[in-house]
Amino acid sequence: MNILIMVIFVVLAAFTLAAGVMVVTVKNIIHAALWLIASFFSVAAMYLLMEAEFIAIVQVLVYVGAISILVLFAIMLTRHVTGEGVRQLYKRWWIALIVAAALFGVLIVPTVFNYEWAVQPSGAQISIASTVEIGTAFMREYLLPFEVASVLLLVALIGAIVIAFEERSTRRRVLTLAEEVEQRRQRNESLRLAPTTHASETSE
Amino acid sequence: MPDIQIPSIDLGVSLQLLIIFGGAMVLLLADLFSGEGNKRIVGYIALLFVVGAAAAGVPYWDAPRSTFNGMLVLDNFALTLNWIFLLSTAITILISLEYLPRQGIERGEYYALLLFALGGMMLLAQGTDLIVLFLGLELLSITLYVLAGFAYPRLSSEEAAMKYLLIGAFAAGFLVFGIALLYGATGTSSLAGIANKLGSGLAADDVAFMLAGAALVIIGFGYKISMAPFHMWTPDVYEGSPTPVAAFMSVGTKGAGFAALARLLLVALGSQYATWGLILAILAAVTMVIGNVSAVAQTNVKRMLAYSSIGHAGYILMGVLSAGSPAAANRGIEGFLFYLLAYSLTNLGAFAVLIALEQRGEAAWSLDDFAGLWHRQPFLAIAMALCMFSLAGVPPTAGFWGKFYVFTAAWEAGLQWLAVVGVITSAIAAFFYLRIIVQMFMRDPVREISPSLDRNLMIGVGLAALGVIVFGISPTPVIDLVQGSVLALSR
Amino acid sequence: MVPVSYYVLLSAVLFTLGVVGVLTRRNALIVFMSVEMMLNSANLALVAFAQRWQSANGQILVFFVITVAAAEVAVGLALLVTIFRSKRTTDIDEINTLKG
Repeated sequence: MNILIMVIFVVLAAFTLAAGVMVVTVKNIIHAALWLIASFFSVAAMYLLMEAEFIAIVQVLVYVGAISILVLFAIMLTRHVTGEGVRQLYKRWWIALIVAAALFGVLIVPTVFNYEWAVQPSGAQISIASTVEIGTAFMREYLLPFEVASVLLLVALIGAIVIAFEERSTRRRVLTLAEEVEQRRQRNESLRLAPTTHASETSE
Repeated sequence: MPDIQIPSIDLGVSLQLLIIFGGAMVLLLADLFSGEGNKRIVGYIALLFVVGAAAAGVPYWDAPRSTFNGMLVLDNFALTLNWIFLLSTAITILISLEYLPRQGIERGEYYALLLFALGGMMLLAQGTDLIVLFLGLELLSITLYVLAGFAYPRLSSEEAAMKYLLIGAFAAGFLVFGIALLYGATGTSSLAGIANKLGSGLAADDVAFMLAGAALVIIGFGYKISMAPFHMWTPDVYEGSPTPVAAFMSVGTKGAGFAALARLLLVALGSQYATWGLILAILAAVTMVIGNVSAVAQTNVKRMLAYSSIGHAGYILMGVLSAGSPAAANRGIEGFLFYLLAYSLTNLGAFAVLIALEQRGEAAWSLDDFAGLWHRQPFLAIAMALCMFSLAGVPPTAGFWGKFYVFTAAWEAGLQWLAVVGVITSAIAAFFYLRIIVQMFMRDPVREISPSLDRNLMIGVGLAALGVIVFGISPTPVIDLVQGSVLALSR
Repeated sequence: MVPVSYYVLLSAVLFTLGVVGVLTRRNALIVFMSVEMMLNSANLALVAFAQRWQSANGQILVFFVITVAAAEVAVGLALLVTIFRSKRTTDIDEINTLKG
């Protein structure tokens, strides 16, 4: 049983890391987003392996279901320039690599590798936080962060609207296809009639 | 199915927060019902809430208590910080009232967002749990991303928001991983709990873990307070953001970030002063040097103020880290609070003068635009001169006492070299502050600019300048205030 | 059971990968994804530590981190799309009206 779990863990870990490497290195941004989803999924599987089922579900719902989809939407909305062929890396990417390697080497590796973990009580039933326990904690010990999180979400909601919402007076309305065709026809006509109006129109 | 019993909550502790958050919701509604092109009314209501929240804190002076399972405290330290934040927000609202319509970016959500940001700052001052600090910081940051991009038809504003957002998200990553490591080492996320664990002795391995986590958390906060070497974003973001927002950021994020950092360092990691003291002292010195030396080369006053705010982060950090040393524990906190108050007033005043010079569509931020201001707008010139003197630390202004305080704190903490670096960099800084004063009083106007000085802006500038000079001449009330604030910071 | 240290090590590697992504890639969207990976790795570490301490606290912290990540992404992508509308690029080096 233990060996089976170990094997599952190793496979998942390898997959997570591979997906992570792909996110950071692939050229095509849609592929990067899909690899990101894959890495989220395998992390969710790891939560299940640690018997944190509530977090695993939330991970799938929020990260895969909401965040990744939002990212994909953003890619679609900005797709003209996000394809392959543009320069992808900073000119001095190797400096960044050194910084990251230093961060990893100096800060994290020694602490994790040299660590002697307290051996868990073998045989004893390990109590794992159940969903009920987590729910109760939200209403008791963690009431304040819970409330603040709701305010945070409200702010994000308002913020996204303030940024992206186009007011009638200040921004162009999104046109339907018929209107767009009509507008183009009119523009072509006006161009044919009076080429000089062209400049004023495009600068609008 | 057991009943969930919500523990009894002392609402007094969160009263100010409740007023501010509730006020923000009311503002959203008020915005809905106020007519197009007349959003000032929303701003006035916001002012009412800010004043109300400030008054609501008075009965809690000298009555420290905590609630929400010890996650939120209201001691004198937090209360003083709250008052400083409320004052900064009030001035920010005053200087925004006419700026927004003039720039054609007036929308009622602006004031609601300002109050949300203020709530985040107050959470940072009052929170005693890493998760509350994290949520407070994110609440503040997310609001500021939106506010930085508020002038959105202007590309520079959008870019500033984007830059700030990418850097902020990156910093949040460090912060969260740091919190994870701290939790892993100690098994708790409460600051007092961490202090207890450290006091009772951790295994050597756990200490290494804890230090790695603390380093990452400090990096995360370092971005927010623009401490070198994490300061690079500051000038770009300040320059691109709408000017009142830049003013708010320069005092708000910094103050709140330092408040949380102070609590974290002094309450949770106080026993580890030997480890972080020297590192932070070096970083503070680097911050002061980089900020002030880069500011010398600037001819754009807004960018110059941004660089100088980096330098001031170094001075504030000096106060905070001195408080870690037992020899200067009280003096450091006093210095930090006094400096923060002086710096907030002064910087808001300076930015407000920039706002008066800023016309729609063109910005008069170059040094030449200040030439001869004395002849055109004596009031603005005097206010600006006072602010510059205060930033430079010339007596008798509030800035002088702030500097005096933090330098003595560093000296008493045994960091004489740091105090010397501080004095030298202040001398460098005096050069570019005085250059503006010379421009204003001794040169003739280079080009025609008509500063627009309305009543609200005048009150804002006047309030800031008055505070700078009054607290400079008789600092006793403030000193009493900050001395009272020290006692309650449990250690 | 898989030892907790394995999870922590894995999360550290993931975190570093995220940092590399942020520092080397120029596309704002990929930078975003890298940041999400950093947050995700922190979550993994938190859940692992929750197992170590046998308490629900770590898992609850994860919940809040996920909330914040969602909020940040909502605002961030809204900004990104707006800036793209006015500038037609998501390359952060070309977002340079402001001299850096």
